[in-house]
Amino acid sequence: MTRSLIRFLPLACVLCAASAHADTGIGVDTWRADKLDPTGGMASQACDADGTSWLAPLQRRSPTGNLYNCAPESPRTYELGDWIYYGLIEGGYLGASGDRVALWNRYADWRRNNLVLGLLQVNLERPSDGSYVDVRASRISADDQLYQSVFGRAGAYKVQAFVRDMPNILSTDAKSIWNGVGTNNLTLPASLVPGASTPAQVAAVSAGAPLTTLGVKRSKQGLGVSTYLTPEWTAYVNLSDEERKGTRPYGGPFFFAFAFEGPPFFMQDGGVNETIKPIRDSTININGGLRYAGSQWRFDFSYSGSFYRDKYTAYDYQSPFKLSPLPVIPGAISAPLYQGQMSMEPDNDYHNLQATATRKIAWNGEISFSAAGGRMSQNDSLIPPINCQGVFGIGIGNLQVGPQNPLLYDCSKWNTTDALSQKTADMRIDTTMLDARIRLNPVSQLSLRGSVKFDRQDYRNVYLLYNPLTGQYGYPSENGTQGSIVPGEAGIFDPLTSPSALTRVRSLPLDIQTIDANAGADWRFSEKNTLGATFDFNRYEPTNRERTQIDASSFKLTWVNRSIDWLTLRVNYTYLNQTGNTYNFDPYDFTFSSSLPGYVPPAAGTPSHTVDAMRKYDMSSRDENKIDVMATFMPRDDMTLSASVRGDWNSYDAQIGRQAYDTAGATLQWDWQIAVQSTLGAYIAWDRSRLGLSNVQDQQNGAGVDPALGGANYALIGQWWANDAQRDWYAGLTFNHKFDRVRFDLNWNYLYSRGLTDYSYAGPTALAHLVGNEGPGPGNGAFPSMVYRVNSITAGVTVPVNERVALRLFDYYERGRINDWHYAGFGQGLVAGNRVYTDAGPQGYNANLIGLFVNVKL
Amino acid sequence: MNLLPNFMRLPAAMLLVLVCTQGVAANYVDLRRIEPVHGDAAAGASRAVVCVACHGPNGNAVVPTFPKLAGQRADYIYHRLVEYRNADPNAPYYVASPMPAQAQTLSDVDMRNLAAYFAAQTPTASPTITETGDEQGATLYSNGDPAKGVPPCQGCHGADANGPIITASRYLAYPMLRGQHAAYLVSRLNGYRDKQAHDSTNDFIMRGVAHMLDDGSIHAVAVWLDSLPVVDKH
Repeated sequence: MTRSLIRFLPLACVLCAASAHADTGIGVDTWRADKLDPTGGMASQACDADGTSWLAPLQRRSPTGNLYNCAPESPRTYELGDWIYYGLIEGGYLGASGDRVALWNRYADWRRNNLVLGLLQVNLERPSDGSYVDVRASRISADDQLYQSVFGRAGAYKVQAFVRDMPNILSTDAKSIWNGVGTNNLTLPASLVPGASTPAQVAAVSAGAPLTTLGVKRSKQGLGVSTYLTPEWTAYVNLSDEERKGTRPYGGPFFFAFAFEGPPFFMQDGGVNETIKPIRDSTININGGLRYAGSQWRFDFSYSGSFYRDKYTAYDYQSPFKLSPLPVIPGAISAPLYQGQMSMEPDNDYHNLQATATRKIAWNGEISFSAAGGRMSQNDSLIPPINCQGVFGIGIGNLQVGPQNPLLYDCSKWNTTDALSQKTADMRIDTTMLDARIRLNPVSQLSLRGSVKFDRQDYRNVYLLYNPLTGQYGYPSENGTQGSIVPGEAGIFDPLTSPSALTRVRSLPLDIQTIDANAGADWRFSEKNTLGATFDFNRYEPTNRERTQIDASSFKLTWVNRSIDWLTLRVNYTYLNQTGNTYNFDPYDFTFSSSLPGYVPPAAGTPSHTVDAMRKYDMSSRDENKIDVMATFMPRDDMTLSASVRGDWNSYDAQIGRQAYDTAGATLQWDWQIAVQSTLGAYIAWDRSRLGLSNVQDQQNGAGVDPALGGANYALIGQWWANDAQRDWYAGLTFNHKFDRVRFDLNWNYLYSRGLTDYSYAGPTALAHLVGNEGPGPGNGAFPSMVYRVNSITAGVTVPVNERVALRLFDYYERGRINDWHYAGFGQGLVAGNRVYTDAGPQGYNANLIGLFVNVKL
Repeated sequence: MNLLPNFMRLPAAMLLVLVCTQGVAANYVDLRRIEPVHGDAAAGASRAVVCVACHGPNGNAVVPTFPKLAGQRADYIYHRLVEYRNADPNAPYYVASPMPAQAQTLSDVDMRNLAAYFAAQTPTASPTITETGDEQGATLYSNGDPAKGVPPCQGCHGADANGPIITASRYLAYPMLRGQHAAYLVSRLNGYRDKQAHDSTNDFIMRGVAHMLDDGSIHAVAVWLDSLPVVDKH
């Protein structure tokens, strides 16, 4: 039996078997749909002409004043023995035209001429005992399809299963210089020599490569069973497996490219290689438990687990360009590295056990206690530090390993797992959670609530980067290329031959303990007014971070006013203050070779890791003010106008680091329910964000020992500021109407997104790369704006032929315009100098989808 | 020359197809969004001659199977007449009733005038009361029967059974029940319970309510309502 057939087995079992018991509250992936019908079948349901209620016209409103969606039309049912059933099948022609690009085809497999199953839905019910069977299916292609089945008996049991395939197209304009795309071994074609090709040769290969589509197909299947053991006790278990298969553009460094490009430097130095990562993994999720719901007590005992497995532990790629050492040592020669390796995500397991008990108490209240313990672990086999053959690093006059060449390393001592301090990762994080919460309603106008939560993550084990074959610490950085180009930067500490090398030698455990306590009250002080107040206190106690204690206190006020019949007004305001104990700007020294015995600081001292004024944004002291105002107008029973304004202002206490992050937005939405089967709506929304940060360029090429801002290394002349501003507009219009028996629908949506990053600097030494026209003093500039604009319009008409057959004709047109300077110039080729790019980036497009479907009620 | 971009041509064609279509009428009277009924009571009096043959002088029916109309809400009377006019006289629920045929002879203005006339009359107590209401009927009316899912009648018909005091349009056609003949009420409730009445949206409300009522409950609440002293609202 093929694998594709095997994955349908759970679904087939559900359709055929019938011997479990369950309730209806628990599901496996509770919402499944495709891009043809993101509503999961609801779009094919017409509104019930009788409305939602015999008591009131049109739809009801939510507590905030918005109209609920219409009630779906009751289906005409037929009898089959003691079962009644109804169903529909909708299928027909789907034709896409225009530009087939990634953004248009993301999460959908639109094809030029395609016969598709839009929707198959069959429902059977047996009124005598409440048994039911639901089957739903949709198939656009073998890569874009879903099938699900649910059966059960109301109040007794429920079984469900599904199969879902979904494509995720990432690029349709990729060009690979490598063979073996999709495998874990990317090799250069015969026309290129690994480690010895020229940029012109590589550019020619790239130009001649066929356009390649990169994407990932997700195939997911699941099975869920729940059952009532007694009227109070419920047991449930859900299992799902998601497999991903495909390719995606990825990194692949071979160190240095643009910085030393062109005379007097080395055109062929190292390079940048955008390789293609193979995706072949699976994730199994499982959860199950027991629940009790009595009149006074509720209990919930649950287990959840997740298991990730990757087919590959790493993938290899060949690099086309040769390496050349920086001309700082006479006679220096780079090792001839020509291949690299990228590790994949490690296999990992997750387990969590949780128990919750809830009891009703006096004052119409409830008290609840939860405890949970979990473990995240990965013990995958580790890969060797490097996959080279021969030597890596820099030789002086020759490439013979020995005392005469302290910057040259023997690959055979590093390309084996014997070069590792342990063969498997043996990493683990244990989690603990305790939670208590209470809610009291002493009188109907007053609600009190409070909770305390304790959360802890404990990292078990630390990995030491030690090579027992050589007695050295660290790892060959950049697949050995960094140390093969820059003398002394191999990433390897040797107490005898390089006792002053500063490199990472230890993993960083990030244990953290969190306590969250809050108390609040809602008081309806008049029939039409409710005030709420909540105080929240969080204490974070991380280890190995810049602060060992961070306290965040917030106070939130809410006001809901319904004094005017046609208006609901909601206002929220929150003030948050975060502070902490002493900020240690460099707590990471213990992870570096400087903490090892035998380390000898350079003559000038150990270089500082960072500037003392740096404040990382999650550790920084900050003040936040946030306000939301939402007004829902009901000018008529059948009309709603919603308006909202929001703002969030964050001020960070940081000279270096994030200084401000502000967001603001406004929305206006109008809905008119003209009749039960006729609606008209429009919306417009705007939002903006601004992120301001500052940093400082070191002035002593990484060797400076003074961490002080304004000192010799982090001189103020090297400070720079960046301001990232994002502005978005959204608008839309929707119209649905039933003309006699014919239904018509029209939708238009517009999105405009613009991002602009500008910068300023105190002096040209703040810049990492000079273009040559910088003056001696301060300067500023901006990157080109990034714009993403999408217009889409859908029009459809559904014409009934008779009581059971209807025709649906629709057209969906979408136009996208992209302006992203990251991909500027790729039209002229994907190889620039010794930089090799694979993905040409998102493209603008005009595309159309037309569908002609026959809808038959079974 | 194309006047429309390509992507707009299909939607435009669809709109063209729909231009000549028209609305559809429901097969019941929708009372959820109605306007208050106004009529000429004096003109209604002249058209009421036929009515009083069954519904009694001034609409105070003597025969207990015929409803009292005196003092009833004009909106209820008018829309009930509309329902009769729309009804299928051969339907089981109406086959023995003269009202569908009678309503066919009335114009819309006639029905409004008749409604205004009877609403303006003063109700009198039923002369045929043989039972007094008991606690079960009063409880059902005031509190319903939560165990059976029966809502309290007073929620829609008012605490004093003179109809709801809320003036929103959808409540206008909820009838006054106070002092109504028990036999008529029993007949109507049975009609709801047997799902024979389907002439207005309010019928569908009452079908849901009566579905849970047994014979004893129907009898108890009908007798209790009949026993209530009538009130001259004028």
